[in-house]
Amino acid sequence: MNLLYEGHNIQQIYAGVTVLALTSFVLRRGEVLALTGPNGSGKSTLLRLLAFLERPAHGELLWRGGGNAPRRDVTLLLQEPYLLRDSVYRNVTLGLLLRGQKKGLREAFEAAMHAVGFDQTAGMAGRSSHALSGGEKQRVALAARLALRPKALLLDEPTSSVDVQSARAIVNAVRKAIDAGTSVVYATHDRQLLDALGGRELALGTGSLS
Amino acid sequence: MNYFAQGFAKAWELLLHMDAATVSAIQVTLGSTFCALCAALLLGLPLGFALGYCQFPGRRFLRLISDTLLAFPTVLIGLVVYAFITRRGPLGEFGLLFTVPGMVIGQTILALPIVVSWLAQAVENLDRRCRQTLLTLGATPRQLILLTLRELRFAVAMIGVTAFGRVVTEVGIATMLGGNIRYATRTMTTAIALETSQGEFGQGIALGLVLLLIAFLVNALLVILKRRGRT
Amino acid sequence: MKTFPQIVLFVLALALTTAPVQAADTLMMATTTSTQDTGLLEYLNPIFLKETGIELKWVAVGTGKALEIAKNCDADVLLVHAPASEKAFVEAGHGIDRRQIMYNDFVLVGPKSDPAKVADKSTADALKAIYQAKAPFVSRGDQSGTHKAELKLWKASNLAPDKESFYISAGQGMIATLNMAAEKNGYALTDRGTWIKFSGQRGATNPLKIVVEGDKALYNQYSVITVNPAQCPKTKAALAKKFEDWWVAPTTQQRIADFKLEGKQLFFPNAGK
Repeated sequence: MNLLYEGHNIQQIYAGVTVLALTSFVLRRGEVLALTGPNGSGKSTLLRLLAFLERPAHGELLWRGGGNAPRRDVTLLLQEPYLLRDSVYRNVTLGLLLRGQKKGLREAFEAAMHAVGFDQTAGMAGRSSHALSGGEKQRVALAARLALRPKALLLDEPTSSVDVQSARAIVNAVRKAIDAGTSVVYATHDRQLLDALGGRELALGTGSLS
Repeated sequence: MNYFAQGFAKAWELLLHMDAATVSAIQVTLGSTFCALCAALLLGLPLGFALGYCQFPGRRFLRLISDTLLAFPTVLIGLVVYAFITRRGPLGEFGLLFTVPGMVIGQTILALPIVVSWLAQAVENLDRRCRQTLLTLGATPRQLILLTLRELRFAVAMIGVTAFGRVVTEVGIATMLGGNIRYATRTMTTAIALETSQGEFGQGIALGLVLLLIAFLVNALLVILKRRGRT
Repeated sequence: MKTFPQIVLFVLALALTTAPVQAADTLMMATTTSTQDTGLLEYLNPIFLKETGIELKWVAVGTGKALEIAKNCDADVLLVHAPASEKAFVEAGHGIDRRQIMYNDFVLVGPKSDPAKVADKSTADALKAIYQAKAPFVSRGDQSGTHKAELKLWKASNLAPDKESFYISAGQGMIATLNMAAEKNGYALTDRGTWIKFSGQRGATNPLKIVVEGDKALYNQYSVITVNPAQCPKTKAALAKKFEDWWVAPTTQQRIADFKLEGKQLFFPNAGK
C-alpha cells in the first residue's frame, strides 16, 4: 500500500476556536511535505494529529486506509524536545526498549548518533541529558526518533532554536532519512530549511494544498 | 540544660550497649514504619497518579479532600481506627488492636494523603511534553505510567522520605492502636512518651537522639541513591 | 540504581524479622500506670512466665481507660485499683471473679514550705485547708484510680473544687502530675510507690514532701478481674483463671511483699483478707 495518510474535512477545535481546517490531506510513502504558514495557522496541531497524539474534532484521518493508530510507525520531534532525566544512551534507545528490543541497542545507538553528527558516541552515552546544550538536546532527541526507523518522521520546526552547526547536522540527518525512503512532514518558517529539505509545500491558514 | 548533658551521655550508652528493650523499640519502629510506608506507596502511587493525570468530573473535589486529610490529627486517626478494630468493632474478629498490624493500619492512613496529594501535585506540574514524548516514542498506556513515575522518581523518593518522617515520629496512633506494650508494640516515640511521663527525661532525650540518628541515616541513604541515579 | 532492590530486600527482611512472635499462650492485661511505673510488673513478669508458661502483655493506662478496654473485649484480664468502679463493672456483667490481691496507700504531698498549713491534719481537714488557702492543687484529671480516689476524698470533705482556679487538672500520668506540682508549688495526691520513685529521681532537690499519710481514707486496694467470657467469647478465660490463682498464691503474695523500691516496701499483699 502506497498511501500512508488519508484525511477528509479535518477540523480541530480548542475551547470553541477552530485552529485547523483542512478539506483533504494525503501523504504517500517516501513523500516529503513542508508545512508553512504564519504562527497559529495550525502547523503544530496538524503534526500532533498526524502523530495520533490527539484526534480531530471533525472529520477523520486514516493511516494506511484505516485500522489502528500506528503509534510505532510514526514519531514526532517536538519543537522544543523533551529529554528524560536520564543518560543520553537511555534517551536515544528508549523507543526501542519500549518495543521490547533487547539486542543491538548499542549498534542502533551508535548509528543514530552518527547520523545526527556525533562522532564521539562513547563519551556522549553516559552524559546526563540535562547537561546538554540546546543544540545537542535537539540532535539527541532526533537521534531517538531515527533509531526507531519510522515510516513517517514528523518534525516541528527542527532547526528554529539551535546553533548553525547543529542545524546543519540535523538537516544532513533528515536528508539521509529521506534518501532511505522515510516519509517526512516538517513544519517551518525557515526558507533555508525549505530549500535544504525540499518536498511538497502545504501552506496552512489558506486551507488548501498549493 | 542538665537533661541534655544527661541525654547525650545516655544516648551514647544506649548505642554502645543496645539493651533488649531499645533494640525491640527500634525494630518495631522501623518494621511498622516500613510496612506502613510500603502500603501507603502501593495504594497511594496509583491513586495520586490517577488524581494528577486523569481528567474526570469530581477530580478537583477529590484533590481537595486529599489535601484536607493532610491535616488529619493523628489522635483522631487513632480513635477512628480504634473504633473499627476493637473486638466490639466491625473488624473486631481479627484481633488487631494492640498489635503491630493494627498500628500499621493507622500509620498507613496517616501516610496515604501525603503520597496521594504530593504525587498528584508532582504529576500536574510535570511538563506535558513528557507525556507527548513518551507516546510518540511508542509507549503503551502501562509503559506511560511506569515511565512517568520513573521520571518523577526524585519527587517520589522525596514523598517517601516525608511520609517516613511523619510516620516514624508519630506518637498518637502508636499509643492508641499499639498500646505501648514492651517488646511487642513499643516504638521509639511511645517509649519517649513513657519515659517522659515517668520523669526519666534524660532517657527520653537519649531515645530521641537515637531516633534522630535513624532519620539521618534514612536521609543519607536517599542522598546516595539520588547521586547514583543521576548519571 | 542496582543496589536499590537490594536495599529494599534488606529492609523488608528486617521488617519481617521484627514481626512480633506470638507465643502459644499470651494473656492481654489492661492495668494502671502505677503497677508499671513502680517496676512491679517488670519484676513479677518473668516469674509469672516461668511458673505458668503464660506470656503476659499489658497496656498501662488509667483505670477508667483500662475498664473501657476490657468492656470492648480488647483485654483478657484487669489489674486495677478503683474498687467502686470495679464493683460497678462486675455488676454490669463485664467482669467476673474479682479478687483483691494487695494494697498500697495514697499520700498527700505538697511544697516543703507547706503554705496551706496542712501537715498532720486528717485528709478531710487538709483538703479543706488547701481549699480555703486557694493553694495550687494538681489533679491527675484522667479518670485513673488515683484520680477517682482523689474525687472521693473531695466529696467526703463536702467540697467541689473542680471549677476553682487553684485546681489544676493535668490529664497526665502520676509522675508528670508530680512534676507539675513541683513546678507550680502545688499539692497533689499520689500513690506511695510513685512517690518513692519520684523522690528517688529528684533526690535532695525535691521541692515536695509528704504532708498527710497513714489516714484510713488513703487506703488503695488493688484487684484482679477476669473479663466476662460470656460477653467476650474470644478472651482466654482458662488462662485468666490461672492468672488469678497465681496472684493469690502464697508464694506470689510473699514476692509482692519482698518487692522494694529505694529500699522501701511498696505493696502489701492482702489476698483473701
